[in-house]
Amino acid sequence: MEPIQPNAGIMSRRQLLRYGGMAAVTAAAAGSGMKLLRPAAAGPVTLRAAQGSDTATRAPDVFLGGTDGWMYLPPDPPVGIFHPDNLAPTGLTTYIFGFRNITDLTATQRQAQKNHAQHQAPLFWVKESIPGDPSTDFVVDITNLGLAQRPDLFDAHTLHWHGFRNAIPFFDGEPTGSVSVPAGTVFRYVYRPYDPGTYMYHCHVEDVEHVHMGMNGIVFVRPRQDGNTAFYDSGKYLYNDGDGSTGYDREYVMFLSEVWAESHWADAHIQLPEWSDYRADFALLNGRVYPDTILPGAPFPSTMPDGVTPFDAGTWADTVPYLPAQTDASGDLVAAGSDDRLRYQPISSLVECNRGERLAFRFANLGFREAAMTITGGLSMRVVGRDATPMRGRVAGGARTGIDTSYTTDTINIGPGQSYDVIVEVPEDQPEGTYMLYNRSFKRSDNQSSDDVGGQATEIRVSAGDVPAQILPNT
Amino acid sequence: MHHHAPRRRRKAVALAAFGGLGLITAAQAGTPASAASTDTNPIGVVCTTDTANPGHATFNLETSSGYINLPDGNTAYMYGYNVAGQDFQHPGPVLCVTEGDEVTVTLTNTLRRDTSIIFPGQENVQADGQAAQPQISSTTNEITSLTDVAAADGGTVTYTFTADHAGTFIYESGTDPDIQVHMGLFGALIVRPTAAPSASDRLRAYDGSADSEFLTKNEFMVLLSEIDPYLNQSIENGDNKGTLTQGTKFNLSNFHPRYWLVNGRGFPDSIADNGASWLPAQPYGALARVKPNELALTHYLNVGTEDFPFHPHANNGTIVGRDGHPVTDGSGADASYEAFVINIGPGQTYDVQFSWHDAEDYDPQTNPVPVTVPQVANQVFGVFYSGSPYLGVVGDQPPGNQTLNQCGEYYIISHNHALYQITSWGVNMTGPITYMRIDPDTPAPGTTCP
Repeated sequence: MEPIQPNAGIMSRRQLLRYGGMAAVTAAAAGSGMKLLRPAAAGPVTLRAAQGSDTATRAPDVFLGGTDGWMYLPPDPPVGIFHPDNLAPTGLTTYIFGFRNITDLTATQRQAQKNHAQHQAPLFWVKESIPGDPSTDFVVDITNLGLAQRPDLFDAHTLHWHGFRNAIPFFDGEPTGSVSVPAGTVFRYVYRPYDPGTYMYHCHVEDVEHVHMGMNGIVFVRPRQDGNTAFYDSGKYLYNDGDGSTGYDREYVMFLSEVWAESHWADAHIQLPEWSDYRADFALLNGRVYPDTILPGAPFPSTMPDGVTPFDAGTWADTVPYLPAQTDASGDLVAAGSDDRLRYQPISSLVECNRGERLAFRFANLGFREAAMTITGGLSMRVVGRDATPMRGRVAGGARTGIDTSYTTDTINIGPGQSYDVIVEVPEDQPEGTYMLYNRSFKRSDNQSSDDVGGQATEIRVSAGDVPAQILPNT
Repeated sequence: MHHHAPRRRRKAVALAAFGGLGLITAAQAGTPASAASTDTNPIGVVCTTDTANPGHATFNLETSSGYINLPDGNTAYMYGYNVAGQDFQHPGPVLCVTEGDEVTVTLTNTLRRDTSIIFPGQENVQADGQAAQPQISSTTNEITSLTDVAAADGGTVTYTFTADHAGTFIYESGTDPDIQVHMGLFGALIVRPTAAPSASDRLRAYDGSADSEFLTKNEFMVLLSEIDPYLNQSIENGDNKGTLTQGTKFNLSNFHPRYWLVNGRGFPDSIADNGASWLPAQPYGALARVKPNELALTHYLNVGTEDFPFHPHANNGTIVGRDGHPVTDGSGADASYEAFVINIGPGQTYDVQFSWHDAEDYDPQTNPVPVTVPQVANQVFGVFYSGSPYLGVVGDQPPGNQTLNQCGEYYIISHNHALYQITSWGVNMTGPITYMRIDPDTPAPGTTCP
C-alpha cells in the first residue's frame, strides 16, 4: 500500500481544504485494506488517451453532457422580477444551460445529471497532436441530456471548438452547415490540434441563447515543447517558443462570461427575451463573481477509475486532460466545504504565488461585451499569444518565427470570442500582499451594487515563498 | 459652397409620395436596377472603377433615399450614395482605385439636407479646389460639418485627393454623421498597390515584402453597420412632412440598434448573390466562395458605433492590413497576426488574408473520419449539410429533409460574436452572419457546382 503522496512542500490553506475530503477517504480505505492510489509514475507516462488504440471505439478523453441547471449570483440587489429567479432551487438564483464533465460517471450517474449543469463549462486541455500519430487524437463525446426546466424545448446541442483551424464542418459544431446532437444521443468529435494556445468551446445551436445561457468554457492546447527544461526550469510553456519566453510556473484560465438576468429568467419562464435589449447585469470570471471568485474550487476526487490521483504531479496533469471534480453517489458535483451556493460553479480564480515566479493567464471572453482586464500593484502582463497564435511575425513560407510582436501592458481589452495568453512575471522584490485583476469597465466589476468590488475580479496573493508548486490549473 | 437651383429627381419625389408603401422599386423610379459597377461577378467584391484615364479616377456620386429589406420582414428608410443617374443603393458603391491615382468624387445632393463625404485616411483632400475644411456656423461658431458640403436640394461639391497609399478605407458623410451615417451614407474605398503580384491571377492588398496576396476572384467584403429603426422613422417623417426638424427630434443619446447588417443585408439575405433580384437596393452579398487551399482576402469595415467582433469559423485569417496600412514594423518586416476573431472598432478597417484546407485530408476511401458516423436518425441535419462529412460527397438525407447543398460543398460560418448583434429586433440568428462556401475540386457524382 502506497501512502498518498500529495505534493511535497507546504500546502496552502486552500489546498488543505481540498485535501481534507480526500484524507477521510484515504483513512477509510486504509482501514479496509482496499487498493488505493498509485504513486507518481517514474519516467514517461502513458497517455490515458492511448488506452485504446482505435479512435472510433475507445473511451473518450472527455465526455460532456449538455443540459440545464441553476447557479448562484448575489441575490441582493435584485434585478427587477428577473433576479433572483423565483423558480430557482433554494440557495441558487439563476437558470442556466451548461455542460457537465461525465467522463468518469457510470451510465446511471450520467443520466442523473440532467438539470445539474455547471458554469463555466468543464475545463479541459489537449496536448498538441503529432501528425500521423492517432494515439494523439483527442476524442470528445457529447450527449444531450435534455432540459428539465424546459421539457417543451427539444434543442439539439453541439460542441464548437472556437478557433480550431481548418476543421471540417462535421467536427465544427455549427449546426446549419453540419449536424447537431438531439436529446438522448451521443456524438463523437475527434480533434488533432496542431496549434498550441488558448481556445474556447461552446454549443453552437441557437448560439445567441445557448452561449449566453452558459454552455461555454475554455479548452487549451499544450505545446510539444512542454517537459523540456532547457528553456525554463518548470518545463511548462504556452507556446513552442524555442527560447523560454512563454515559460511559466503556474497557470490560470481566466474565462469571461456575462449574465443578462432577464434572458435567464425568460428561459426558465418559457419566455423569449428581446436580444437587442441585451445588457450584462453580471460579469463573471470563471463562472463566478467576486468575491466568490476567490473561494476554493470544487474538491478533487480522491481517485479516478484508472487509479490516477489528481495529486501525483506529472501523472494526473499528463494523463487526465481536465480539471477533476469530486462527485457524490448520484454523480452530482460536491460543493467546496459547507458552502453549497457554488456547487455548480466549480472553478476558482484565486491566484497564489511566490515572488519571482511566472504566472500564465489564459484569457478568453465569451461574454457579449469587451472586457478591459487590468492588473494592479505594479504587476504587468506580457502578451505572448492572441487567438492561439504566438506573438511572432511571419517568415517566408508562413512560419511564425519572425519578429517578436509581444508587448507588455497592464490592461488588455478582450473582445467577445477573443483569447489572450499573457505572462505575469512577479518581481523578486514584489511586496508580499494581495493584488487585483479586475475589469476596468467598472460596470462589470461590481455586482449591480455601487459600493463593492464584484464581477470580473480576483485576487493575486504574492507570498515570499511558501506556496507549493502548482499541479493543476486554477489551483 | 455651391447653391444650385433645387433639382429634385423624379425618384426622390416618388419616394416622398409613396414612402409609406414600403419598398420603392427601380421600376417605379424608371431607371435600371443594376448596381453601379463595371463588375458583374455574383460573389465577391463588386468594384466601381474608372479606368478610362490612367492615373485619374473620377466618380460622380449622388445622394438618394430609398428602402431596404431587413431579415424580420421590416423595411427601413435609408439614405445612400449611388453613381449619378443610377438608383438608390445601400451601402454606397465600392470605389476601387490604384495607389497614386488622382481621385475626383463629385457629389450631387438630392436630399433635403446638406450632406458631404469625408475620406478618413486620405491626405490633402480638396473640396472644389480648396483644402477641405470643417464648416463653422457663423452664428453659433460651432462645427456644422466635418468637411465642405453639397447643399440641400441639388447642391454639388467636388472632392479631389491623391490616393497615395494602398489600403481599405471608409468614405462617409461628414455632416451630422450621427444621423447621416446611421441613415446609410457610407461606402468602401479600396486603394490597390502598384507593386505587381506574383502571378497574373492574383492581386495584393499592399506593397512591400510582406505577403498580402490573394486570388483576384477571391476578394470579399464584410462591411458592418447598425440601424435603430426609430431614427430612420423619425427622419422619414421629417422628409415627408416638409419639416426637417422632425428628424432632429430623435434624441441621439437614445440611439439603440435593433438591426446589425453585413454589406447592408442581414442573414440569410447576406449570402444571396450580388444584385439579387429581390434585394434591388442592396446589391452586395457577403458569401465567400473558395476552393481548398486557394488564397483569399476579406476587407472588413465597421461604419457603426459599436465593436463588431467578427468570427470566421475553422479558419484563422491573417491580419495583413489595419486601418489602411500594412501590418509591418518600422523596417517593413511582417508583423501580421492570425486571429479567430477580428474585433473591428468603429471606423476601423482590417484586411484579412485566408485560405482553407482540410487539415486531415479526410477521404471516404483512403482516410475516413476516425469515428462511426451516427445513423441519420441520431443527427439533426443543417440545411446546408450534404449528408456526408466529406467534401465533394453527398450522403443520405433524413426522410423528408430538403437540403440546399448542391454538390457536396462545405459551408463554414462567419459571424459576429457579440451574439446579441446577430438578431433582428426579435428574430434570432440573422444580422451579420455569412458563410464561406468551399467547393470541391470535383463535384459529387451526378451533381454540379453551379
